[in-house]
Amino acid sequence: MYERGARRWLTLALFLGPSLIGLALFLVGPIVASLALAFTSWDLLTPPRWVGARNFVRLADDPEFWTALRHTLQFLAGYLPLVMTTGLLVAVALNGRIVGRAFFRAVYFLPVVASWVAVALVWKWLLNPAFGLVNFLLAQVGVAGPAWLFDPTWAMFSVVLTSVWKDTGFVMVVLLAGLQGIPREYYEASAIDGAGPAQQLRFVTVPLLMPALFFALSISLINSFQVFDQVYVMTGGGPAGATTVLVERIVRQAFSFSRMGYAAAMSWVLFVLIFVVTIAFSRAQKRFA
Amino acid sequence: MVRVRRFARGASGRSGPRWVSGLALVGVVLGALVMLVPFAWMLATSLKPGQALLALPPQLIPQEPTLEPYRRVVSAFPMVRVFGNSLLVAVATTAGQLVLASMSGYAFARFRFPGRDVLFAVYLATLMVPFAVTITPLFIIVRQLDWIDSYWGLVVPPMFSAFGTFLMRQFFQSVPRELEEAATLDGASALGTFVRVILPISGPAFATLGVFAFMASWNAFLWPLLVVRDRDFMTLPLALATLQGLYPGQTEWNLVMAGTVISVVPMIVVFLFAQRWVIEGVTTSGLKG
Amino acid sequence: MKLVRTFLALALVAGLAFAQTVDYFSFTTDQAHVDELEALIEVFEAQNPGITIEYTTAPFGDYFTRLQTDFAAGSPPDVFELNFENLATFASRGVLAPLDDLLGTDGRDVFYPAALDAFAYDGTQYALPITFSTVVLFYNQDLFDAAGVAYPTDAWTWDDVMAAAEAINDPANRVWGIYQPVQFWEFYKVAQAAGGGLQVAPTIAIDTPENLAALEYLVGKIEAGVMPTDAELSGVANEDLFANGQLGMLVSGIWMFDRFAQSSFDWDIAVEPGGARQATHFFSNAAAIAASSPEREAAWKWVEFLAASPEVAAARIESAWELPALSLDNADALAPYLARPQPANREAVFASLAFAVNPPVVDRQPELQDIVNQELEAARLGSKTPAQALADAQRRVEALLAD
Repeated sequence: MYERGARRWLTLALFLGPSLIGLALFLVGPIVASLALAFTSWDLLTPPRWVGARNFVRLADDPEFWTALRHTLQFLAGYLPLVMTTGLLVAVALNGRIVGRAFFRAVYFLPVVASWVAVALVWKWLLNPAFGLVNFLLAQVGVAGPAWLFDPTWAMFSVVLTSVWKDTGFVMVVLLAGLQGIPREYYEASAIDGAGPAQQLRFVTVPLLMPALFFALSISLINSFQVFDQVYVMTGGGPAGATTVLVERIVRQAFSFSRMGYAAAMSWVLFVLIFVVTIAFSRAQKRFA
Repeated sequence: MVRVRRFARGASGRSGPRWVSGLALVGVVLGALVMLVPFAWMLATSLKPGQALLALPPQLIPQEPTLEPYRRVVSAFPMVRVFGNSLLVAVATTAGQLVLASMSGYAFARFRFPGRDVLFAVYLATLMVPFAVTITPLFIIVRQLDWIDSYWGLVVPPMFSAFGTFLMRQFFQSVPRELEEAATLDGASALGTFVRVILPISGPAFATLGVFAFMASWNAFLWPLLVVRDRDFMTLPLALATLQGLYPGQTEWNLVMAGTVISVVPMIVVFLFAQRWVIEGVTTSGLKG
Repeated sequence: MKLVRTFLALALVAGLAFAQTVDYFSFTTDQAHVDELEALIEVFEAQNPGITIEYTTAPFGDYFTRLQTDFAAGSPPDVFELNFENLATFASRGVLAPLDDLLGTDGRDVFYPAALDAFAYDGTQYALPITFSTVVLFYNQDLFDAAGVAYPTDAWTWDDVMAAAEAINDPANRVWGIYQPVQFWEFYKVAQAAGGGLQVAPTIAIDTPENLAALEYLVGKIEAGVMPTDAELSGVANEDLFANGQLGMLVSGIWMFDRFAQSSFDWDIAVEPGGARQATHFFSNAAAIAASSPEREAAWKWVEFLAASPEVAAARIESAWELPALSLDNADALAPYLARPQPANREAVFASLAFAVNPPVVDRQPELQDIVNQELEAARLGSKTPAQALADAQRRVEALLAD
């Protein structure tokens, strides 16, 4: 911009060089390497062997993979509607005039700043069937609580519940940002036309909030495909493999079973999945919002 | 591109009938309880002596509060060192990200050079790739560099995030060029202009990126899990996960919760002081750890 | 002046040449044993001036992958711990240093023969056993007395175990008859005790009538209500339950002796009762040297020290965790162990060795264990019947070993 010739290139190298080298070494390099690895068999003890598409063929009839994919989709199917609903409700409630609004916003956001490991541990203890608070409170209202993380049918739901608790605040702030952008006049005008709160939500808030909703939804979607920390700490994929998810399987294949090539292949399938869903999503967004 | 609007400014609220806001307040208070009780349970458990853990009914307020769990967790585990590690790693990662992202972001915003747009597209593309894809080769690269069990391994790879470059570029593009042109006329170099003119007005962007980077690093789990085996280099989330299995055959939830309190409280303090930046950082990035 | 400097530089170089560092990698991570290891390193370094031991540890769950990445990066530790079922993976790929020449024939006599043989592959010794342990039946004498049941004897079978468990059982007061884990490490042994076994070669025979009987015995204790379910345990470890006096019997390892010694009730051990026959565990950890280690001589000294030195043997017996894998003829070394008061029947530790069986070994051991554990867990939780679980295990292991 300012200088000419060699000096200019030197300046550019100074500004962009460090970032470029790091990105090449720690991001682009590994991405390319991982793609190559996906076509090899490598146990770390002997050099990698080229096996062509065999890893992908094997994936296609690996029941573990399909189970993990199914569990990931189950997580997604439970988590997304719940977290979007709670996030939207809290955002709308905390957008209006309400006593202690700033305080409540901070409270709902607290779980977002805590680490996943901490949250997972606290909930693991809260959901303890015999000594935890949740089942104790349920018993007070006459409900015999389930065994939560110790029961294959309840384990995934427990993980979903914990995730919704942690991420409601995140969806809330994204939607609050969107709500703040809706001009007040729209509400005043619709009130003059006789619209009640329900109609206002339906005809003013939701349509104008679409971009924020789409943003929150697509981020949540991408993140839930990569669900890992909470599963690792709360269940380790158990009980009886009831909560194995894709990233957990990838980490396990690579770092417990030393099957680097297979893990890489699986991670590329995950990438393609996320990619396709994201593209489909932004298409939908263009149509609806 | 996502536009983020400040929240907590200006009430755009609409008020419906009184019963609606009454109902909303009840809902908000109940929800806030659900958000706060797990933290209370964590704190209460961390203050209980071992025998009170399995007491029925569970004590939400410990009957005989004690600091013994904290004392034990600090003596059993180099907790002070671990805390220092987390702080050091988070500060170093954040500082590195700020320097790298602002310089590369500035280059993309202001320099004209062949291949710039292609290069920037590559930066953006890396944002779409899930961490699971790069993790295996990245681990092997870090292993080759002999960075396992070192601060280098914990700090350097996460410093290179295309997200930061992207964010800073957007910010610099919104800065009027006239500011720099005046400096250039005075004969300042690009670097001089950057340091003396641009950086002083970049506070808000730095705060947003900085807070996000700090949180992501403080809460990171999967990467430290892979690159650290020596307790002396453990960060808090890793230490927490390890605490769970520290005493084989014993279940010491009070120690685990004491460790959790130690890890969560600093983040809450940071959040309370820097609420606005935290929320903006998280909203913009949409990424969690 | 110049001469002095040259001399100093030379001395420094010579010193560096003599100073040898041996990297040691271990999967023993809990604090008490890390402290013990540090003390042993001090003793060794005092005996071997010029050799420094630098150790690192990793939890067992990711130990072997870490080890394999070290090999992949071309910088494995000089000495590292191995166990029986992982030896083949490393030995077959030629990354372990053969130890026969270093050990010599006299050296072999020091060891408990089965332990030594467990770490030979294709007739070559690749590691030296440094510890061994067995699993026995622990029982709470106070609970037996209260229920009026006679103590277990060597003649006991599974039927006697079940009868005693039912007599002691009192779940309303959180007291149960017995706990026996339902997982890979129990199952391969119980399967053999039922007359079957977790057979993976030459053919895979997991779904067999004998193994079904074994799994039904394991799961049957939960169904009969004499063993707590996972939900009843709620994360409380079974060892805790026994230590609290809430279990009549517990199938667990001799490494629990010290912890249970602090209990307020009387307890003892017996050789584990069998079904169709008797079968017991034999666990042994060993130390191996990387073939590429530049410090082979110093590494060997450290391995020998860990495996056979009187100091290590004394320390292991003192800490009462695992035993040194020495020949039983070595009465001097073992006498202090037998002399300890609780449990009284310490001979059962050695009597168990007569029935020792080995786990199945395949190249892809972690995956085999993962599959078997998942299926056993499903049976334990009741989400699959034992027959379904075994059929699924058979199918999945076949798929695993086919490719």
